[in-house]
Amino acid sequence: MKQLFQDRVTSLAITIVLLCIVASVVFPQQFPTFGNFSQVLLNLSIDTIVAVGMMLLLISGAFDLSVGSVVAFSGGLAAHLMFFQNVPVPLAILAGLLSAVLVGLINGYLIAYQGINPMIQTLAMMGIVRGGALMVSGAGIQNLPYWFNAIGQAKLLGIQMPVWYMLLTVAAFSFLVNKTVFFRRYYYIGGNEKAADLSGIRVRRMKLYVFVLSATLAGVAGILLTSRLGAAMSTLGRGLELRVITAVILGGASLTGGVGKIPGALMGALFMGLVANIMVIARVSGYWQEIILGIILIGAVWIDLVVQRRTKAK
Amino acid sequence: MRLQLLKIGKQFPGVKALENVDFQLLPGEVHALCGENGAGKSTLMNILTGNLQPDSGEIRLNGQKISIRNPAQAAELGIAIVYQQLSLVDTLSVAENIFANQQPRNRWGFIQYRRLFAETNELLQRLKVVGIRPQTLVSTLSPGQKQMVEIAKALSKNPDILILDEPTASITERETETLFGLIRQLKNGGKSVIYISHRMAEIFVIADRVTVLKDGRYQATRPVAEVSTNDLIKLMVGRDLELHSTASASTEDVLLSVKDLSGPAFQNISFSLKKGEILGLAGLVGAGRTEIAQTIFGYLPKLSGEVFLNAKRLTIHHPADAVAAGIGYLPEERKTLGVFQEMSVEDNVVAARLSAARKGRFFNAGKRAELAQTFRTRLRIATPNTRQRVVNLSGGNQQKVVLAKWLLADPAVLMVDEPTHGIDVGAKAEIHELLRGLARDGKGILLISSELPELLGLADRILVIREGQLTGEISGKEATEEAVMRLATDNQ
Repeated sequence: MKQLFQDRVTSLAITIVLLCIVASVVFPQQFPTFGNFSQVLLNLSIDTIVAVGMMLLLISGAFDLSVGSVVAFSGGLAAHLMFFQNVPVPLAILAGLLSAVLVGLINGYLIAYQGINPMIQTLAMMGIVRGGALMVSGAGIQNLPYWFNAIGQAKLLGIQMPVWYMLLTVAAFSFLVNKTVFFRRYYYIGGNEKAADLSGIRVRRMKLYVFVLSATLAGVAGILLTSRLGAAMSTLGRGLELRVITAVILGGASLTGGVGKIPGALMGALFMGLVANIMVIARVSGYWQEIILGIILIGAVWIDLVVQRRTKAK
Repeated sequence: MRLQLLKIGKQFPGVKALENVDFQLLPGEVHALCGENGAGKSTLMNILTGNLQPDSGEIRLNGQKISIRNPAQAAELGIAIVYQQLSLVDTLSVAENIFANQQPRNRWGFIQYRRLFAETNELLQRLKVVGIRPQTLVSTLSPGQKQMVEIAKALSKNPDILILDEPTASITERETETLFGLIRQLKNGGKSVIYISHRMAEIFVIADRVTVLKDGRYQATRPVAEVSTNDLIKLMVGRDLELHSTASASTEDVLLSVKDLSGPAFQNISFSLKKGEILGLAGLVGAGRTEIAQTIFGYLPKLSGEVFLNAKRLTIHHPADAVAAGIGYLPEERKTLGVFQEMSVEDNVVAARLSAARKGRFFNAGKRAELAQTFRTRLRIATPNTRQRVVNLSGGNQQKVVLAKWLLADPAVLMVDEPTHGIDVGAKAEIHELLRGLARDGKGILLISSELPELLGLADRILVIREGQLTGEISGKEATEEAVMRLATDNQ
């Protein structure tokens, strides 16, 4: 039992199952339906793709506040190129993704090699990239090419594509982080950066990579979101960075680094999505949703600390 | 008699830090305290300043028996200390540092800066410190000026007893002169000074009497006029060896050779390490030994010089290059640099060679556990299981985990920095045996240690570093503690 609660992914999974059972009993008409579940998953798919990168960043002991802006910019740039410059769809998407990679490279270089604090660097970058998003998408771009919209709007087995992309991302990175030496290094870097360096891990380079990776995933998410909505807007992804960090911490990451598992990113996002969904069904006001999510976050972290103190006392 | 310590004893888990130590301090006296690293000087001073409580013995101040429960009480009793590591806040002004937490306040509780600066000025002038304004930021001062501010801070409470712990370690000769002037001034004013220093020459210049500690025991107190440097060194180190050298495994094949290596903390270091050899690196704390090893390892940048392994010139920009070339480094600061405290024994063991924990192309938790289990048995690491977090292990077992990490990485050259620092006797012997075993297997071991018996017992040759310079080489057979200490301390 104690073991069970020490692993956040399992304890969160149990909580989610219990939450679903209770909600199904209370709202048998609205909650336990295929339509509702696929809607919940669709809503959290974009956040979860970003959360996978954020989880890896937190494992390495850093975080990135600029991901929400990158979501808006990459989608916006792709839309801008397609709509105004008639650039072919694949090339426009590639440009959107490359812009995200560039943001990641700048963040990673300045943080890892020049020593700028991640909080400050990515906060500044959040503003800069948001400004860029305003420039490329202006008041919003609609009527995007059919083939582009199909990426995010098509269905497979009755489920929207973004959900499949999300599951694919989570599965791929769960495997990679568990099974490759490259990604295992991030646990060491987050656990003790200096000791990692002295164990022959190239900490700076690895940090640069993880910022690039997280920005790239945000770029992918931006393309998907724009495609799903069929429109680019400069306000897309606003507040997403904090939602994602919340999900990742609920999912078992710690701001001090060294801990966390990729499935935790999905679990955290899923939990938040379900809570929001249930509150909508229960007709709780939107204000309360924010309040309740905040309380849940504090509660989850608090419980963790209490459990840790107990085990240490023994 | 201003201060008298009688039969002070202090026990730490596994070590007797002090045993029956006597110490007397007269008014207007500069009393030097000498001893090797780990002789108990710091412990004794921590007792005087209330950071530690003695287990036995008594302290008398002006003939009255007292107990010093905390630093604040020590200050009230008129005892002030200037620590070896500066305790100033770089981002604040000189005045704010000197009067930290006791700034003059008006009746509303707000700080009166004008008075603060005026009082600081007065204090600095009284100490004849020139060239430092109260408003100056501490970060802009030289090490010597900082030292002066530190002393001014200690004197701001007008103590009767001032303790100086290695005050000249980081300052220039001229600054040392100013410091000595200040000490003489205090002495003439009837204050007492306890002066801790490794530098023999200084003791003869400034001190009236000297007390020597060795292994936590009181050796002797002598007027400096009546002793020579050699007498002092003999008092500091003369003891029986606990370790006995075994047959050397050293060969004639040069494994690692370092040519004219220089860094900010050391200059033109050249030496070679042979296959199967344990090469000792002796010197005082701060002599530059750690910096030399960390520079070879690529953790610190080198200024110039070359490193060869098996006659091949190495280009090392990062520890990863060193590990790939076949060099390992076990750092002194186990907690901050050696282990991943919150991670499991398993994760720690594979840290320097993650690729060993693969099955086929992929990382495998079972393989990791298997490797950790092997080393747990081989090094007798005491842990309930290999999934235990390292932070829960004792110091000796944590060190074994770090050693296991390097055994798995299997470098040709292993540099170990104070490998048995803060480790109990049993684990210490096991680690010594392990290092000998590695040498027998043909590895080259560079052993940095401040414990002379350890160096004498293990090393085939000993290099001595003093203030960043290689001052001598002694073969293990001929080495004595006196010989090493003579090269390690400056006595012209």
